[in-house]
Amino acid sequence: MREKSTTLYLGPQHPGITGNMMVKLQLEGDTIVKATTHVGYLHRAFEKLIERRNWMQSTTILCRFCVPEPDPPEAAFALAVEQIEGREVPERGKYLRSLVLELARIQSFMLWYAGQNGSAGLYTVGQWSVGDRNYVLDLFEELTGGRIYHMYIWPGGVRRDIPEGFEDKVLHTMDYIEKRIDDYDRMMFDSAIFQKRAQGVGIISKEKAMEWGVVGAPLRGCGIGHDVRKDNPYDAYDKLDFQMGIFDGGDVWARAKVRQFEIRQSISMVRQIIQNLPKGDYLNKMPNPMKWTIPAGSAYGKVESVRGEFGFHVVSDGSDKPRRVHARGPAYAHGISLLEDILVGENLADVSFIMNSLGVCPPEIER
Amino acid sequence: MYNDKNAQTIVDYIQNFTRKNSLFMLAYGTGCGAIELPATLTSRYDAERLGVRGAATPRQADLLLITGYLSTKTLKRVIRVYEQMQDPKYVIGFGSCTINGGMYWDSYNTIKLLDKYIPVDVYINGCMPRPESVISGFQELKRLIAAGKADGAKKYKENLEWYRENQKKVLKNWPLVEYNW
Amino acid sequence: MGTTYSKEEILAQQLQTAFEHLITEVVRKDTVFAFATKEQVSSILLYAKEKLGYISFVHLSCVDWLESGEFELVYIIWSPETKINLFVKTRLDRENPSMENTDMIWRQINTYQREIREMFGVEFPGFVGEKEFILEDWEDAPPMRRDFDTLEYVNDTFFEREGREDKQDVRERIAKRSGEEIPDFAKKYSRE
Repeated sequence: MREKSTTLYLGPQHPGITGNMMVKLQLEGDTIVKATTHVGYLHRAFEKLIERRNWMQSTTILCRFCVPEPDPPEAAFALAVEQIEGREVPERGKYLRSLVLELARIQSFMLWYAGQNGSAGLYTVGQWSVGDRNYVLDLFEELTGGRIYHMYIWPGGVRRDIPEGFEDKVLHTMDYIEKRIDDYDRMMFDSAIFQKRAQGVGIISKEKAMEWGVVGAPLRGCGIGHDVRKDNPYDAYDKLDFQMGIFDGGDVWARAKVRQFEIRQSISMVRQIIQNLPKGDYLNKMPNPMKWTIPAGSAYGKVESVRGEFGFHVVSDGSDKPRRVHARGPAYAHGISLLEDILVGENLADVSFIMNSLGVCPPEIER
Repeated sequence: MYNDKNAQTIVDYIQNFTRKNSLFMLAYGTGCGAIELPATLTSRYDAERLGVRGAATPRQADLLLITGYLSTKTLKRVIRVYEQMQDPKYVIGFGSCTINGGMYWDSYNTIKLLDKYIPVDVYINGCMPRPESVISGFQELKRLIAAGKADGAKKYKENLEWYRENQKKVLKNWPLVEYNW
Repeated sequence: MGTTYSKEEILAQQLQTAFEHLITEVVRKDTVFAFATKEQVSSILLYAKEKLGYISFVHLSCVDWLESGEFELVYIIWSPETKINLFVKTRLDRENPSMENTDMIWRQINTYQREIREMFGVEFPGFVGEKEFILEDWEDAPPMRRDFDTLEYVNDTFFEREGREDKQDVRERIAKRSGEEIPDFAKKYSRE
């Protein structure tokens, strides 16, 4: 028999690819021998544009860094700016930030349910979870005015206070979603298809996880408990009671278990925030937003998004425009070097399955 | 209808009626607008009741959605994808950045005016457009198809040189296929 | 006797004892800067990784200081024990910038170096990686350099839709279109 290797370009136009990127695969039969990622299809030159905008205008660009989850970039940038400037955030502002970040996590988890199951052929869960995700987006719409892009978190606090009666709506939605995730889980984790597809696929070894820069749920799925909300607490997270989901195995199954655990933690955190929401100011006002200058300095602000640590390296030269804003998304480590490594030896049919479980999000790789 | 010279023939009418009620949309998220498509296609907004659903490959698709900004690197692929699609084919420009560059008006890597490169039948504005406006864009396209006015593909064939010239202005060293339709 | 050092100060002292002439600065909680020369960087990274437990590589960023003719490379590493972000900063000459290849210490640096080579034109001798990363067929100057004018490039390359000129006051046109009058309080915010 003759050994024959095939080159296959998966993407950029491919229904299984998470976003707009390409993986060039070298195949022997159905097994991958070599994988090379090609990115850059979504490069909009954000960092160049931010150098041309002033500090306040750049907040509109920031949320477009990552589409499934637009709030962590805003929060990371705000944290970095506050570190440089030394601006304090009022207690209520901190809680509202955490509220928005946790709601963003919940809607992103629900999008993940759809992607992970869709790539395994279980389309029902996706229909349910994306449909139910609209209820969280409705909350965002009422609070911030936008379904997807919010521009809600500003350096110094949040843009506006919560509207009247909002707490009850949040609690009601959380009750509904908590009831619904049980259905998703029955459909997903009890399904023999998902169990067979997920167990032992896409393994990240525990020894190499830190070395390779794995963050977020994939890292906790290797049995290593690191979470920015625990390690370097920001906003109101040092006052909230929550646990990290830590599971062993490092495969797609373990990562799914981590997320299954953490969506429930997020729901419980939203309830705690609503119960303990302090009274007072929500924004430490900056003087004139159009003439606002930040003293020279640099900082690295980081928050935990669903896919992992999201950070901004912000450099100011004392003028009214940022000198340099450089984003470090979790997909930057997951989507390129890690993906190229763990795809070797896997089956062709599992590529989009593994990409979904790592949370590869091209817009934040190339920005 | 029979005495009106400007009216469509009965064959055209039937053809357009069938085309407008089964739009297969190519699953190619070229930009961030792709995040609203799952919401549009699933239970709450349910675009499938209007005859819109996804297609995996360009050759089986009728409708190309340019979901947002188009970087020059993606433009190459989009042109290729568009030319692979078979007649009838329609293009919807989705989001403000396809109309005039939107918030990326000074970015060196995104095109600002989509209809200079490929013909666009309907634009949906907004950043990002809500599922309701996406659905109203679909309805507008269906109205145009029924009236026989969604003729972007015909325009592209007839003015291929003009489109090629514009495309080559951005894509300098990229081989673009020559056709003789 | 009696003085207790914070964990940031301890790190700064550890680095200063290990490396001569290294300037360190404790900036704020959880943040320490180390200003190194170009040659010191790889040994500092290796020392911090092997001896001090800074096993997690976070970020490599390049800042263009056009006025002083320098590029600044910032390596950010993080330790799971002390939870400190250590910034190792170094300055390169803006003419023919080149930096030692460090991707054998953390393989993630490979990706960052590909990006910085493409976006800033900083060379890393001995570094293997595909030349093209994000851009394709790019012939102009590296685009993230500050002397690359993106607006000029846009005007040369792309088509603009009419009415997209910058800083136009369109309120009067919109008011006329919908048959409304601009209220007095709004007139004082005119752009002129």
